[in-house]
Amino acid sequence: MSTARKRGASLLAAALAGALTLALSGCGGSDGGSAGDGKTLRLWHYESPNGAMGRAWAEAIKEFEKTHPGVKVEFEEKGFEQIQKTAPMVLNSDDAPDLLEYNKGNATTGLLSRQGLLTDLSAEAAERGWDKKLGAGVETTSRYDENGVMGSGKWFGVPNYAEYTMMYYNKDLFEKHDVEIPTSFSELTDALAAFKAKGVTPLANAGAEYPAHQYVYQLALSKADRSFVDAYQLYQGKPDFRDEAWTYAAETFADWVEKGYIAKSTSGAKAEQAGVAFISGEYPILFSGSWWFGRFRSEIEKFDWDTTLWPDSDLTLGSGGNLWVVPEGARNKELAYDFIDITMEKGIQNILGNNGGVPVAADPDAITDKQSKTLIDNFTQVADRDGLAFYPDWPVPGFYDVLVSETQKLMTGSASPEQYLDALQKAYDAGAPQS
Amino acid sequence: MTVTAPAATRAPASRRPASRPPGLAGAARRYPVLVALCVGAVFMVLPFAVVALNAVKSPAEYSAGGPLSLPEGIYLDGLRDFWQRVDFGQKLFNSVLISGSVAAGAVVLSVLNAYAIGIGRIKGRPYVLAFFVLANMVPQEALVYPVYYLSKQAGLYDTRLSVIIVFTVIQAAFGTYLLASVLGHFPREVIEAARIDGAGKWQVLWRIVVPVSRPTIGVLLVFFFIWTWNEFLLPLVMLVSNDNQTVSVALGVLQGQRLMDATMTNAAALLGVLPAIVFFLIFQRTLTRGIAVGAVK
Repeated sequence: MSTARKRGASLLAAALAGALTLALSGCGGSDGGSAGDGKTLRLWHYESPNGAMGRAWAEAIKEFEKTHPGVKVEFEEKGFEQIQKTAPMVLNSDDAPDLLEYNKGNATTGLLSRQGLLTDLSAEAAERGWDKKLGAGVETTSRYDENGVMGSGKWFGVPNYAEYTMMYYNKDLFEKHDVEIPTSFSELTDALAAFKAKGVTPLANAGAEYPAHQYVYQLALSKADRSFVDAYQLYQGKPDFRDEAWTYAAETFADWVEKGYIAKSTSGAKAEQAGVAFISGEYPILFSGSWWFGRFRSEIEKFDWDTTLWPDSDLTLGSGGNLWVVPEGARNKELAYDFIDITMEKGIQNILGNNGGVPVAADPDAITDKQSKTLIDNFTQVADRDGLAFYPDWPVPGFYDVLVSETQKLMTGSASPEQYLDALQKAYDAGAPQS
Repeated sequence: MTVTAPAATRAPASRRPASRPPGLAGAARRYPVLVALCVGAVFMVLPFAVVALNAVKSPAEYSAGGPLSLPEGIYLDGLRDFWQRVDFGQKLFNSVLISGSVAAGAVVLSVLNAYAIGIGRIKGRPYVLAFFVLANMVPQEALVYPVYYLSKQAGLYDTRLSVIIVFTVIQAAFGTYLLASVLGHFPREVIEAARIDGAGKWQVLWRIVVPVSRPTIGVLLVFFFIWTWNEFLLPLVMLVSNDNQTVSVALGVLQGQRLMDATMTNAAALLGVLPAIVFFLIFQRTLTRGIAVGAVK
């Protein structure tokens, strides 16, 4: 017993000593040391390698190394969460990368620009013609004023892609139940009723996340114009949630839940569940964003599907995609500009478009995939009529949670449309900046 | 996990001579505790089973059939892709290095502190202990910014050493509290006997106190290792470079802004939890012994 104990003790001591020496020897080496020698480009993004952006940017890195002999791209794939949580700290340290993908919006890029952590890209954007490649709606999220509010002011980011919402529909289910694919809003309501009559819930939905309130916002947009969006999103005027558009939206949405076009049981569902339910062929229609497109394309094998814009609405949800931003502390800014430039070229943009993304500056004839062509043509249509209305949770910090929980109440019937709109008004007024 | 150990100790009961009718109902009447533990074990194991099931599914199978459907074949691309995508070997090394150093360092610190507080009986003992409990109760979110600024000042930002130091202190706070109360009941006669034999303070600590408390120390070591292994927020904030990241941070790479890769996330979760399970199984005897040894001989 005593020898066993002794051996155990010496083992423990050895383990301790080993771990400590490891700790001391292994910890010194942090490689933040690449100086501004123009020889390395440190690049971070958080797109999955198989997605449209991941593929296009992998190609862009190759292209960059070809056109910049002797320069090495040090790419690190990050998690979305990590960049969200740590960006202000990283950019404020010596370990800032030269170029990173960052979320667009007032609370993210806007905030960092106000804190002086991002490089002003206005001169580069004008000189290299990035401003001309982006349409007005897409450009909104690239520019921030001195208060960090998007829409005007200096350029702090450049998006490579755009996003917008649309109806994904399962052609096989339409055919099976003998329903016409709707091209106008009245045809849409007819189709919803026809599906319901056949015992099929027509609309996929998720009340615990963004899909539910995106239905509501789209319904409001179909009765609204640009001044509505400017007031709501850019604080140019005071939005009234009891106006015609919002009232119509809340009442119609509640009515659809009542009629069973949207299942009440989805009030607790996550977006992932709605997407998976659509992929498995449960629902004929899913109204959501272009971010699903690539996944649907690779995972839906059992049925034929297509996309179309929300009928009879000039406006729809959407915006420029996430941005390339150059930290103020970047050591190789010139290389970062060159890289952005490459990602805006036709070649990379076409790769993005052919892999299920929505490119901002692609060559329409180079998009060969039929579904992708519809996706991009629809986007061009929206962009040309200045129809990007952003997302309902943008204007106020923390509004997302309010929208989710209030829309859940509307779905379960514990709030009337009037109570719903009043709750939104209160949260909006409390959180929107006073101008 | 912990349920399995008592379940195993119950098992010999079934060797009793039995001439009663066999069958599940009979078993349920005779061994209610065993049956209850089995049911409990099933509930504990079920989540792991679901994770393992989805880890070997292809994304298309997952999307078509949902999380509970059975896969048609074993699909290991998710596991392999994840391993390569995040350079998992490096992450494993980092996690082992950080967790191991923290466990070792925190135990040494705890023993030294607890010796002073529990046996040395320094003045203001309750207040010192209360302070350690408080230090342990501070939420990590509150620590993020102070730790960030301190480590930046010290030039330790984005090094594994910074995380090791922080967690060694945090874990040692708990260890000190626990060990001090254990040592507070250490039999004084043993120490006095050693003193009479001419042992100094240092010798009493290493020759008497540590060997006798070894089971408790072993448990602390295992807990510190596993707790540090599972830490997410501070490593996420402090370890910026991919080369320095730990396993639990690497899992976060798979969570996109709006989309998640469910099957690969499951594969990654499986890879992430395996080392902790292996570590637990290796030290399981230490654990159960430590819990069993309540009184000092």
